[in-house]
Amino acid sequence: MIPGELKTNRKKIMFPRIANYNGVIRYFVEVCLEQEYIMPPKMTRHTLEVGARYSPDSVCTPFKSTLGSMIEALDIGADTLMMSHGLCRLGYYGELQEQILRDLGYEFDFINISEYSTGKKKDMLKVLKRINPKVKYTRFLTHAMDGVKLCEYIDEVTAEYYQNCGFDPSGRYQKAYNKFIMATEMVNSRAEIDQAYRKVKQTFQQTQLEKPLKPLRVGIVGEFFTVMDAFSNLDIEQTLADMGVEVHRWMNVTNRLLHYPGEKNMNAKINDLCTYEMGPTSTANIWAARDYARRGFDGIIHVKSAGCTPEIDIMPVLQAISAQEKIPVLYLTYDVQTGEAGLMTRLEAFYDMLAMRKDTI
Amino acid sequence: MGKIHAYLGIDVGSISTKGVIIDKQNNILASEYIWTQGDPIGAVKKLVGLLEKQFDREQYKVVATGTTGSARKLVGTVVGATMVKNEITAHAVGTTTFYPEVRTILEIGGQDSKIILVENGVAVDYAMNTLCAAGTGAFLSSQAKRLGIEVEEIGDFALKSKHPTQIAARCTVFAESDLVHKIQMGHPREDIIAGVCNAVAANYMNNVGKGKKISSPVVFQGGVSKNKGVVAAFEKMLGCKVIVDTNGHLMGALGAAILARRSSKRQEFDFSMEDMEFYTREASCGRCPNNCEIICVYRDGQLIDSWGNRCDRGAVKI
Repeated sequence: MIPGELKTNRKKIMFPRIANYNGVIRYFVEVCLEQEYIMPPKMTRHTLEVGARYSPDSVCTPFKSTLGSMIEALDIGADTLMMSHGLCRLGYYGELQEQILRDLGYEFDFINISEYSTGKKKDMLKVLKRINPKVKYTRFLTHAMDGVKLCEYIDEVTAEYYQNCGFDPSGRYQKAYNKFIMATEMVNSRAEIDQAYRKVKQTFQQTQLEKPLKPLRVGIVGEFFTVMDAFSNLDIEQTLADMGVEVHRWMNVTNRLLHYPGEKNMNAKINDLCTYEMGPTSTANIWAARDYARRGFDGIIHVKSAGCTPEIDIMPVLQAISAQEKIPVLYLTYDVQTGEAGLMTRLEAFYDMLAMRKDTI
Repeated sequence: MGKIHAYLGIDVGSISTKGVIIDKQNNILASEYIWTQGDPIGAVKKLVGLLEKQFDREQYKVVATGTTGSARKLVGTVVGATMVKNEITAHAVGTTTFYPEVRTILEIGGQDSKIILVENGVAVDYAMNTLCAAGTGAFLSSQAKRLGIEVEEIGDFALKSKHPTQIAARCTVFAESDLVHKIQMGHPREDIIAGVCNAVAANYMNNVGKGKKISSPVVFQGGVSKNKGVVAAFEKMLGCKVIVDTNGHLMGALGAAILARRSSKRQEFDFSMEDMEFYTREASCGRCPNNCEIICVYRDGQLIDSWGNRCDRGAVKI
């Protein structure tokens, strides 16, 4: 930031809420690109209601929740909206959402990453220029590495949390995790990132877990947004963990985007099950599901939003895995209308079934 | 003392309320089946009254209570249940107790349908209808009303038909308009009724039964299993015998009673609950824009339980 420059001259950028990654996006916008980040409010039913009101009925639920999130952010003063690119219909969502918001009369600048994802990495640099025209790439890069680290930390801690939090009656695990997530939304330097990480890891290590020798283990696979976002999947991971289950989820930003082995390499692992590439997360989900089955997990849960075509496509493959590896798979579809009662019935029954099955084996 | 222990199971569904009292050997001491009529608390009070009349209170005492069905939580609070279980587990446990050999359980109730696959007496896979209530009891009873017959008579009518009408089975709305069309085209009534029964079975197989390997023996239960037309449609479609238990409609309640017996929790059931005043009140939390709907249950004017909040801020102190 140039000394003397008014803070108000900065862009007020927002990116729709997605799982726990808003801290990372904030880090990129505020620390790496020196603009202001408007943290969209936590998603609530209000978010979904406004989103659904202005959305086409048949789009998938993430469109509705992200649109709601954008409207809520505009209402609290954001002036620049961002939307991600995507490998399914998501790639078109930014354009449509911008049009809907303009029709509603909002005034804002819209940075649609889809427009820049041409396949050439050089074009992605234009996004940075768009956010901050005075960006210095060298400076950006050093800070961006820290932002990536933050993202990796979040995924590592989240995975560890859901695998263990069901076996901690003291509640220290949950408290430490919530504090960590809160800290990730406020960090301003690598030192602070590392500090928050060390603190949560320390608490995790010091907490005595009451874990049985062979706990029930469930692997969750599914559509990128819904499977990661606790609000969208009605907190399925916490609900399962509270029943006393070790919950595993491979799908996260670190594994899918930062350290993804590549579609071809991923496909090679499962080419006996499917010949072609099927969609943004399909190959990875099929691989993950079979990996869980072969590692002796007790069950798999497949999570998707209503109308998600790539995930509907992998359901027959999951059924084949279920039959071959003899592992139960629960299929859950989330919609704006999805009630908690129906979900609880299915999850409880799934848990009972896995527990009874384990007892007899 | 010296009274013999008995166990009560209550299954409150969307359409009907079932209750059963069993002893240690799973013999039914009392059972009742009534309509819920949109009032689960009222239905349970009535049910308890009816069960009390059949039940020998001199010789037995109810030491554990299990509830299941979509109103299990509310009713569990009201009757002071020792075991509150989802209907899928209750049905699986009930059926495997009476049919240890069973491999497939088909269940069609008033608003939902499910399939449970069993191996070696333990459920290994299940599915439940998701977004759609097509092909459930509610559809059958609304169509029976349209055709001017009682829902109980559907089965007999359907069996009379020689050429069942083809009826679109995908969705209740389409099925209904197709049905109206077929009526107006002059198809005989019994053919249409048989067509509806086939549509229910076909829809079930396309919806919850999709991708599931169905092996014999097959047990069919839930209210719709009392409909001979649907049973015949299933037998034709699956090519094997479909077992319908005379107590098939009570299986959920039986499962709940068995689960209550197996758990170690004991609490003697108080038949006087039928005279108590229960009511519920809905409150909007209002502490964040999510506005959770919190349900508060009162007994004789006193708050006994509440639920519906998604975080601690909405917790109601009792």
